[in-house]
Amino acid sequence: MFRTTSRTRRTRRALVTAAAALLLSGCTAVGPDAPAAPGVPSGKAAQDALLKAAEHRLVVDCLSGRGLSLTSRPRAPDEERKLRAALFGAGPRELSVTLATGATVTAHEDGCVAGARQRLYGDQRRWFRAQVVVDNLRAEAQARMRADPAHRAALARWTRCVTPPDSPRPDRPDPAVATRCSRESGLDEVRERLEAAELATVRALRRDELTTYRQLRDRALRQAVELPAPTHPQKGTTLS
Amino acid sequence: MKRLLVTTAAALFAATAGLALATSAGAAECPSGEFCVWQDSDFGGQRANWSGDDGWWESWISDTDSSWANHGISGPGIKDHVKVYESAWQGGGMTICLAPGQEVGYNGAANDRGDSHIWSMGC
Repeated sequence: MFRTTSRTRRTRRALVTAAAALLLSGCTAVGPDAPAAPGVPSGKAAQDALLKAAEHRLVVDCLSGRGLSLTSRPRAPDEERKLRAALFGAGPRELSVTLATGATVTAHEDGCVAGARQRLYGDQRRWFRAQVVVDNLRAEAQARMRADPAHRAALARWTRCVTPPDSPRPDRPDPAVATRCSRESGLDEVRERLEAAELATVRALRRDELTTYRQLRDRALRQAVELPAPTHPQKGTTLS
Repeated sequence: MKRLLVTTAAALFAATAGLALATSAGAAECPSGEFCVWQDSDFGGQRANWSGDDGWWESWISDTDSSWANHGISGPGIKDHVKVYESAWQGGGMTICLAPGQEVGYNGAANDRGDSHIWSMGC
């Protein structure tokens, strides 16, 4: 089991210098502009599309090998249970990462989705950890932002602003009022300033995961390019 | 696009048939292709599930969410990640972003905080 929190303690001391270095180097979250391998598209959107197509292709092949397909809906409860186990796994949840926000994200090592990621990324445990952490950098930054006294104070001003005189605080303020109050209370400005700073901080804290993320994603892109053409069914599979 | 189903039958069946607890075996009881939210931790209690976006969860599940599962199916051009927000219409900050196959049985920070979600190409 992975524990992000222990890493947090270990890396906290290096935070200030690492954050400064990261800001100076102008790193983005995942480095989409890194030089691509032959056949790998250079843009992030095209790379994402390539990875999704490859994962989908591998999942469909895997399901086909088990006599299953994604096509028929609605499915009988028994068929749905079988498909769910084939896609997402059975047995214990082997993969687990606890984020700094408190969420423990889990997944299975078996199943066709996990198998596809193992094939593409080479090490699904390392990929799972890196993906979960990097995917939630913004959530982590926003959680830190909400704990900041300046944000708490601005939120209190916002709450007073949206609460009509002699009335309880509304659960759902009118959207136009909420927008005006966000501006007038300074909440918009505080959020913009704090979120950018917290994002830089968490990117420095999770530098190892960001590096792993880039490395394994590059590997997956190369694998995706080299996948054999899907015109012939792979050996041992049956089409349904 | 929004489709919301309340499912208690599955929980009832699990209780009466003595199936293994959700924590010990198998992917959570969330239909393939959908995003699911449960009122209780460890994928227990009433469940809401969606194949599309929902900018404002119905009152019985909003701010009572305790566990989550993304059973989206990836594919070319498919929005397969799910972002959960603490306010309606994707406002107030994102509490979690899940890729297909990822599940969260409990989250001390985001517990009882969700109000809306959106499917996206990535996080």
